[in-house]
Amino acid sequence: MIIVIIGIGFVSQLNLFILSKCWKSRFLKDGAEGISKLFGKRMIRLYAFIGLFFIFMKMAIFTIGYSDIMHQYIFPSINNNWLILFIFLTSLYLASKGMEKTFQFVVIVMLSTFWIIFVFIPFLFAPMSSIHDLYPLIPNDPSLFSWKGVLLIWSSLSGPEYLIFLKPWLTHDKRQFMYFTIGNMISVLEYLLLFIAAILFFGSNYLSKTLYPTIDMIKYLQSPVFERMEIIVISVYLFYIVFALALFLLFFYGLSRLALAKWNLQTTRKGYLFCAAVILSSFLIFYNFLWKFSYKGFWGLDLEIALSSLSYLIIPIILWIAIKRKEDV
Amino acid sequence: MGSLFPKKPRQKSKSEPLSSKIPLTDELLKKSLANMEDLEIIALNTNIGTVFLYYIKTLIDNERLNEVIVEPLNHCSKDQIAKCLMNAKIEKLSNLEEAEKKIVQGSILLYDPTQNHWFATLLETPLSRSIEPPETETVIYGAKDSFVEQIDQNITMIRQRLPVTALKTETFNIGSLSRTKVVMMYIEDITNPEFITIAREKIKAIDFDQFLDSSQVAAFMEDHKNTPFPQFLETERPDACSNSLALGKIVFLVDKTAYGLVGPINFFHLFQSPEDYFLRWIIASFLRCIRFSSFFLALTLVPLYVAITTHNYEILPLQILYVLLETRSKLPFTPFWEATLMLITLEIIKEASLRMPTKSGQILGVIGGIVIGQATVQAGFVSNVFIVLVGISAIASFLVPNYLMTKIITLLQFFLLVLSSLLGIPGIVLGMIIIIAHLVGLTSLKQPYFAPITPLYLKDWNDLFIRGPLTSIKERPSFLSPLQRWRIKKRR
Repeated sequence: MIIVIIGIGFVSQLNLFILSKCWKSRFLKDGAEGISKLFGKRMIRLYAFIGLFFIFMKMAIFTIGYSDIMHQYIFPSINNNWLILFIFLTSLYLASKGMEKTFQFVVIVMLSTFWIIFVFIPFLFAPMSSIHDLYPLIPNDPSLFSWKGVLLIWSSLSGPEYLIFLKPWLTHDKRQFMYFTIGNMISVLEYLLLFIAAILFFGSNYLSKTLYPTIDMIKYLQSPVFERMEIIVISVYLFYIVFALALFLLFFYGLSRLALAKWNLQTTRKGYLFCAAVILSSFLIFYNFLWKFSYKGFWGLDLEIALSSLSYLIIPIILWIAIKRKEDV
Repeated sequence: MGSLFPKKPRQKSKSEPLSSKIPLTDELLKKSLANMEDLEIIALNTNIGTVFLYYIKTLIDNERLNEVIVEPLNHCSKDQIAKCLMNAKIEKLSNLEEAEKKIVQGSILLYDPTQNHWFATLLETPLSRSIEPPETETVIYGAKDSFVEQIDQNITMIRQRLPVTALKTETFNIGSLSRTKVVMMYIEDITNPEFITIAREKIKAIDFDQFLDSSQVAAFMEDHKNTPFPQFLETERPDACSNSLALGKIVFLVDKTAYGLVGPINFFHLFQSPEDYFLRWIIASFLRCIRFSSFFLALTLVPLYVAITTHNYEILPLQILYVLLETRSKLPFTPFWEATLMLITLEIIKEASLRMPTKSGQILGVIGGIVIGQATVQAGFVSNVFIVLVGISAIASFLVPNYLMTKIITLLQFFLLVLSSLLGIPGIVLGMIIIIAHLVGLTSLKQPYFAPITPLYLKDWNDLFIRGPLTSIKERPSFLSPLQRWRIKKRR
């Protein structure tokens, strides 16, 4: 699996290279208007409708998934609907500050969460860890290879494709590829560290039996003041969840305006709140009628992984082809 | 590209009143100043004829009146008042509005009926107190002078520290009744002209009748009205103001106020003490970090107690949990009510200590410490552990050098308290996210309030949580976009 993570990291790097080429396009500079020039208004509306489904699934899965983890590890007694509501309302508040301010919040998210990765370093040196658990680095037995695992890592590396739509709010820097590369490298190293730490701590046989290995690992950490460190770590991850949800909320609102051909009109509080109400009620329906009853065999998770992988794969390619065609013309 | 919901610009009223310029006559002036017992009208017989003096005696320096006006006019042999009063700074008047404005500001109006000329000269009584050490921003090292209520004196104190011609001042009069003088100061070569334009527009847009304090002026100039966070730094220290000017900020001095306003500021300025720049950098950095930690501690300690005792008690090791359980075993209140009642009591004590005479303060300490503290524990209303936490939290809140921030802590504490009682530790984190999101959205004179963290200006971090060596702080803060980036003349 180690070699698979590294391999996918390389493929992701190629994808980012295409994205950075697209980044330089003049069409992206003007936001929705520029993209509509690229694809035409009718196509843009079609893409927007498809995008709404992609974004909704992404939002729903990570929000409900996170609240479910919180429910399982911190609040088994509380009704999960309340957790979803509180997380959503906080994101709604952050998103109401506008895209620029929401995006600026990323620094706070980074400062609040980057240290969590260091929490896992002691597990690399756990007394029961054996280097043999990491073997074979290159598996010769095809049964050890899992396509689902590949898809999971690929979808985990996804996300930069949405950055392309944020260009009007970001500095038009020429060194975009370098920033993409740094981000990709950090992500790959993070997944490698987490995977190696988990496999050394649990061993290859037991690892597949835990649902949330990284959180279960933190349970074993102790300090003189706090015994259940995972409660703090999970709570701190709220910074990331709220930020991501706020960002996707704004994406959703923007896309729905595109889909309804209202991009020329001014954003309104009413429209934004209506959009939020639709998303929240969909979340609650999604959770209460689908997620709650069939979590482990739930198709939504697989669908979200597939959609994230697909969006990461096709958005850069479609954009690149469209830009090339337009520029040739 | 800014706010998600931009405000629609309000349409200006079409029928704005035109400024009336009524010609000044003796009759109109008397009518306008009728029913003022302290108004004096003197007819002075001089060599050039009878001259009338109009003034409000409570505003005038009588000694100077004789010296500068009466004596020279009595011995005058020339035919015009202006020539007789060469030493007095006199201005010619033409309309009633101008005359009214001058007389209530402490000017003497002179009327020469033979030539039908009106003049004004300022002879205001200099009411001022001596310069004293600052009360709210005390330092061990550093300057010991503070602003007074006389604006000219305050300007002098700043000018003496920055004796350069680039230090510019602009005067505005605000308040339809108080006609308060506000002076905007900036260094022309350094301060970003955009800030000056914004500030100028904001002052000109002020529309209110009376201003008694600089904080009222700040309230009208703030970008965001519905926030507890101050968007201007109020300081009584001239050295802090001159330092801010040198960095590229703007200082506003308000007449009859012993506080200057500094803007644009960021959230982190409220944690900086003037002493930070007088101490050695390692010590100053340590103290600054303690201040930030104290702020965080003051905000979260009590909510954390409520979160742990209400929802997340498993977070504590068994030994600590035993202590907590034992102290809480006989309490009648839930942790939330225990904390709420105690925090309200603490606020009552704090407010009372501010309003009471100094000698009664000691009694308050005894009542607060022994009666309320010890006796409530013995009576079984509050746990021992909680009293310790409240004490630490209260002391920690006083480490923040800005008084307004100390008050905000209490408010935010209650907000986090409610969230912690509902959702435990995640509730506190959600509360912190809301607070930070709010701070990220704020601006001071349209500049980001949470800079240099976000937007990120890494170079400014040299004087953020850590106060780097003064010799290494060679650049002005980037978030202020100063016209001159470097603070030094020679660069390698």
